[in-house]
Amino acid sequence: MSNTVVTPDALVHRSTSAAVRQTLALAKRSTLELFRQPALVIPNLIFPLFFAFLGNSSFGKTTSLPGFPKVNSYLQFQLAGTITQGVLFGSVTGAAALATDIENGFFDRLLAAPTSRISILFGRIAGSTLFGALGSAVFILVLLPFGADVSAGLPGIVAMIVSGGLIALAVGALMAWVAIKTGSSEAVQGTFPLLFILLFFSSAFFPRETMTGVYKTIAGLNPISHLVEGLRALSLDGFTASATARAILVPLAIAIVALFIANRQLQTRLRAN
Amino acid sequence: MTVITNENKSSHLMTNDMHSTTMRSSWQLVKRGLINTRRLPSAFFPTLAMPIFNMVSFSGTFFALTKLPGFPTDRSVNWFMPLGLAMGSAFSGVGLGFSLIRDLENGFYDRLRMSPTSRLSLIVGPVIATWIRVTLVTIIVFGAGTMLGARPTAGVLSYLCSWIAAIGISTIGAGWCIGLAFRFQDMRGAAIMQLSIFLTMFLSTAQVPMSAMTGWLHTVARINPITNIFRLSRSGWVNASDPGHMSWSNAYGGLIALVILSALTLIFALRSLKKIDN
Repeated sequence: MSNTVVTPDALVHRSTSAAVRQTLALAKRSTLELFRQPALVIPNLIFPLFFAFLGNSSFGKTTSLPGFPKVNSYLQFQLAGTITQGVLFGSVTGAAALATDIENGFFDRLLAAPTSRISILFGRIAGSTLFGALGSAVFILVLLPFGADVSAGLPGIVAMIVSGGLIALAVGALMAWVAIKTGSSEAVQGTFPLLFILLFFSSAFFPRETMTGVYKTIAGLNPISHLVEGLRALSLDGFTASATARAILVPLAIAIVALFIANRQLQTRLRAN
Repeated sequence: MTVITNENKSSHLMTNDMHSTTMRSSWQLVKRGLINTRRLPSAFFPTLAMPIFNMVSFSGTFFALTKLPGFPTDRSVNWFMPLGLAMGSAFSGVGLGFSLIRDLENGFYDRLRMSPTSRLSLIVGPVIATWIRVTLVTIIVFGAGTMLGARPTAGVLSYLCSWIAAIGISTIGAGWCIGLAFRFQDMRGAAIMQLSIFLTMFLSTAQVPMSAMTGWLHTVARINPITNIFRLSRSGWVNASDPGHMSWSNAYGGLIALVILSALTLIFALRSLKKIDN
């Protein structure tokens, strides 16, 4: 019988490694959940692609209008909008799954178990982030042969995939805040029209330079415009430091704020429990 | 001979009874639909919000389209208001399909089917209620469009053609969605309703005129009958100098498309209802 002395440092180290393992396990669960329900995931890939091809045929002639950036095709311009659209809708699906966990009691079982609290949030968002990155890769690969060139080349494509993942992280965290606050998957799904409105009042489908008046102001204030334009800079301007910084740093900054808000909401819920 | 006359009389009376039952039952179902609209405004709100959102967002975002050479109007809201109306009208049919699915799931529809009501009234009533709702939406959208700068180029006929197109599209949407609701009898049908209507609408001149299209969409839109309906709906909103401006040649294609598609979808709805009965 020997007494083992556990130092506070070792406890912190152990709890950190446990939290990482639990986050990874929950991330695996949320990712598998998305892949095992193709009916939930496939529309998030099909619809943005449909809109991209539709837009290419509808607005193909508009690329010569004054104010439109220099592009090879409308698809090249639209690529960033398509990625953002797919990622936004995918994030709603991920957050709705978190709300479903709360509704069906799985969330409470996780709380009853010796699970790191933060892993419950991060594990769920990690699934959406991975899906966002994979979805971005799918959109680029499908649209590339049809004229959606990426001026930044392979490094640019990698940066766009990372940016897609970060956008998913940012939006996923915001949606997770809604899910934790309301505990209702219906409420999370109810934010879908709001995202749709934000998307259409942004520069996702047409450049801000071609808009006028109040629409231009709204698009300028709309964070979706800045997310899309960061990605678009890689697609149109090439692999420059400023383009990469815009594509990575803008969603990263939003993600940090969103994660902070979501975590605070989680703490509030835990205190209430 | 007398017997034959009496039989004829009796058959005539039965037909009259049947007609009056159909009318009475239809009217009760119209009333139910309208009362539901008043008591559950949240269910009606999407039908109203969608056309206004469509009109506002598309007019602003795609304002530059009017700068394209040969674009039929210099006011983007003139172009996108009929699109908003069409989407709102089509989705009022989807709303009807959704409420029908709810009625089927909670057993209310079984009670209707067990009652001595005419089968026709189960379709006619909800369709008429949809027409009334769509007319209300159309008036509100016209008002909102006018505030945003929409101006008719053919006077009262501009409004009339857009309203006829809206009513027709709502009938097509209602017939299609009622049929799908009867076939699936659960929310699986809802996804097909939305997807099919969305695709049919957008694979036409919904967003841009034929002259602005390129590639595959031009071919698809040319054979899509919804293109004719949009031509009818927009004929009073494009410039008077445009070839698509108000004329019989720009209207009859849309009217024929409305009649044929309405007839086909309503037949589909009736046949689907009979399938449930059998």
